[in-house]
Amino acid sequence: MSNKKFRWLFFALVTAFVMILAACNESTSQTEEEPETETESGETETNETEETAEETEEEPEDTEQADGLYSIDNFSNVKGEDATPIEGGELTFGLVSDTAFDGILNFNFYDGDPDAQVLEWFDEGMLTWDENYVYTNDGAATYTMSEDNKTATITIRDNVNWHDGEPVKAEDLLFAHEVIADPEYDGVRFDGTLRNVEGIEEYHNGEADTISGIEIVDEKTLKITYKEATPSLITGGIWTYPLAKHIFGEMNVADIPSSPEVRQNPIGFGPFKVESIVPGESVVYTKNEDYWRGEPKLDKVTLKVVNPNVVVESLKNGEVDLVSSFPVDQFPDNAEMANVTWLGVTDRAYTYIGFKLGKWDEENSVNVYDPESKMANVNLRKAMAHALDNNTVGERFYHGLRWAGTTLIPPSHPEYHDSENPGLAYDPELAKQLLDEAGYVDTNGDNFREDPEGNELVINFASMSGGEIAEPLVQYYIQAWGQIGLNVQMLDGRLHEFNSFYDRVEADDEAIDIYQAAWSVGIDVDPGGLWGEQTFYNMTRWTNEENTRLIEEGLSEAAFDLETRIKTYKDWQQLMVEEVPAFPTVYRAILVPVNNRVQNYAIGDGTGIYRHQLAVSAEAAETAE
Amino acid sequence: MMLQSEAVKQKPMRSPSSWSILWREIVRDKLALISLIFLVITMAFVYGISLILNQSEIVKVDLFAIHEPPSENFLLGTDYGGRDVFGQLIIGTRNSISIGILVTLISGIVGIIMGVVSGYFGGTVDNILMRILDFFMILPTLMIVIVFVSVVPNYGVMSFSFIMSAFLWMGIARLIRSKALQEKELDYVQASKTLGSSHLKIIFTQVLPNISSLIIVTMTLNLAANIGLESGLSFLGFGFPESTPSLGTLVSYARNPQTLEYRWWIWLPASLLILILMLSINNVGQALKRATDAKQRRG
Repeated sequence: MSNKKFRWLFFALVTAFVMILAACNESTSQTEEEPETETESGETETNETEETAEETEEEPEDTEQADGLYSIDNFSNVKGEDATPIEGGELTFGLVSDTAFDGILNFNFYDGDPDAQVLEWFDEGMLTWDENYVYTNDGAATYTMSEDNKTATITIRDNVNWHDGEPVKAEDLLFAHEVIADPEYDGVRFDGTLRNVEGIEEYHNGEADTISGIEIVDEKTLKITYKEATPSLITGGIWTYPLAKHIFGEMNVADIPSSPEVRQNPIGFGPFKVESIVPGESVVYTKNEDYWRGEPKLDKVTLKVVNPNVVVESLKNGEVDLVSSFPVDQFPDNAEMANVTWLGVTDRAYTYIGFKLGKWDEENSVNVYDPESKMANVNLRKAMAHALDNNTVGERFYHGLRWAGTTLIPPSHPEYHDSENPGLAYDPELAKQLLDEAGYVDTNGDNFREDPEGNELVINFASMSGGEIAEPLVQYYIQAWGQIGLNVQMLDGRLHEFNSFYDRVEADDEAIDIYQAAWSVGIDVDPGGLWGEQTFYNMTRWTNEENTRLIEEGLSEAAFDLETRIKTYKDWQQLMVEEVPAFPTVYRAILVPVNNRVQNYAIGDGTGIYRHQLAVSAEAAETAE
Repeated sequence: MMLQSEAVKQKPMRSPSSWSILWREIVRDKLALISLIFLVITMAFVYGISLILNQSEIVKVDLFAIHEPPSENFLLGTDYGGRDVFGQLIIGTRNSISIGILVTLISGIVGIIMGVVSGYFGGTVDNILMRILDFFMILPTLMIVIVFVSVVPNYGVMSFSFIMSAFLWMGIARLIRSKALQEKELDYVQASKTLGSSHLKIIFTQVLPNISSLIIVTMTLNLAANIGLESGLSFLGFGFPESTPSLGTLVSYARNPQTLEYRWWIWLPASLLILILMLSINNVGQALKRATDAKQRRG
């Protein structure tokens, strides 16, 4: 667990910036998503999809409305070609982070988002996906699914070569599976997704010499058979990052992550090659002329770590052209920055408040709901949700760049997010009524309600420190609950540091009744990764039969039919609104500033713009006057 | 008549008491006098006003008043939670001064007792106490304070003061010990011993009063440093929760570059106040220090 989380140094920070475990580049939400704090997540995905030639939307001139609010609808996620690019050119990419990146530079081994940011310049997955996160045939390989949806046939394009000139072969992908399933492998990738490959468990346990489900057809083609057919397979359920067998084939699996081929001279088949690395600080890339999509337009890219405190200044004086993420709280003061264009996209994440409703049964790896717990009354939970005015929170604290959440599937998954479900909207009168009905009334005249048995009710609220607005936000929530007569206290009277917060919440600390956390949803919409019966990350420990049934149904063969799956998840969202084991507080936007000279850059998924098209229209970055 | 005036004349001319020397020195030093008056007024104001201010009202988050610049409604504007900075400044100053005084007193009392006992008795007692002191000296204080601060269940002015004091008594203890070592060799102590006074009586009624000027001076100078203590820790992010405003929490808002650049009213008043408070206390302390040394006196 602890290796999945990133430690952050709180000392020097302004915006406590939390790294999430970004393992999810190509996985379902099952396992690898790590909840983030109330801060900007640094997760971006270069998503390579349809080669819909550059459809560039015009950036609206005025993103700000008269009332000082912004809306994500006014931001484009694409900066197309608005000026003539020059030949070649160089570009600097700022990796916004307050710590150094680890430097495990291989998709099969890396552990944190900063490393993924470094990796995405020189390596990529073989399959790309569209804006609905379904695999497409536009990547370095094409795929077909068999009739029974259990077998994927993957064919690598002929012109896909490693940076050293060796072709990327089918056996490289097989080798990646073998290494990850190796008992000595100590990374985080051996998870539910990969365990679904037929015969991989036996290989992992040493009962078989080969993975029976993977078959090499010819040099460039292989077939992977899965134990269960689920719709998740084609939305991130296939492992598509090959590992160069001609380089790593002779090494011990345990030694690979520390080898120079991972740390100093990492190899990939992406648009750029690594020229030099200053560990933890910067990476210089040069173009890979042999890139399979075509020669990149840029000659050179420099990546460097930029502290969130100085990111604004770095952008203003043109020190960096692009950044991986931008602290949203600094946006309103810098919205007028002259030398950048702002791109925006809805984050695949939500902040939520969860109720502790049970215990984790370690032995059986299952969540056990406890109907006797303090928060077990559903009216109490509903009332707490109705008491919060999250639209105002979003407008006032985040200038409209966060907005009230309604259901537990965020709008970043437009197909599945039920936009007609109003969720539990702000309605303090209804909240009071619900509490009255449930028997929570003030019997001793202290202005706080007692529980139906007449005992004092004090609800302990755990929340994380870090993030500019963490503290007033929590204070506001406590006030709002106070107004409907609930006595909510900050756990131990203070906010908790990221790691200790999750340690305590995950360990079902008795003192915690409710908690505020954030979750970033995988590219596959399956909510089982956070709300499943057997999911450790289901920190509410709430579960019921209907929930389990719907989550399973969403992954069943019937769910290959899109309509059925949408219906299932609508039902699930409604169930979660009715049962309220947790409720979303805000959805969020990601904003990224891009220097005006940069051409062809996009954030978000399914844009059809790739990094080899990236270009600049001037030798030097524009600076703000 | 004659007798009466005689009686007046006969009243012995006492040498000026140490208190009057201290007082005279401050009055002579204009800067120290102004500083003292400023301190007294500030403290009276801050403690007086905070009696009628409602702390929970001031730290109440108001979504519709975020980052208001100074105006009639908010003398010093509001912070990012829509909370009145002026009110926070008053309560914050009170909290910070209280901490300074509490820490000075607690660490002072512990330090004086340790120092005097160890200096007066000497020998094994001295040895043992000084080794304990050495142990405390080598501890990485800041780290330990941070750990304590994050584990105490009830983090407030009192608990913070005790935690800080636990690591701040050593300096004063050393100072007092060296003075007590000199003092116990003096004739009046020997005489008192010969007359059969108990150790306790000698320490508290004879030695201590004789080193009182040193104690007053050190404590005053420490006070200036201790007011800054909490601010430093808050700035590192281990200060009070925002529901307990202090000068440090106000200053630490400036860790946000946006606040630093665009919203001076949040952090500037508190920063200035810290500066002026510490300077003032220091001025008074310096004047007191001079008073204890006949060669440096101005009065």
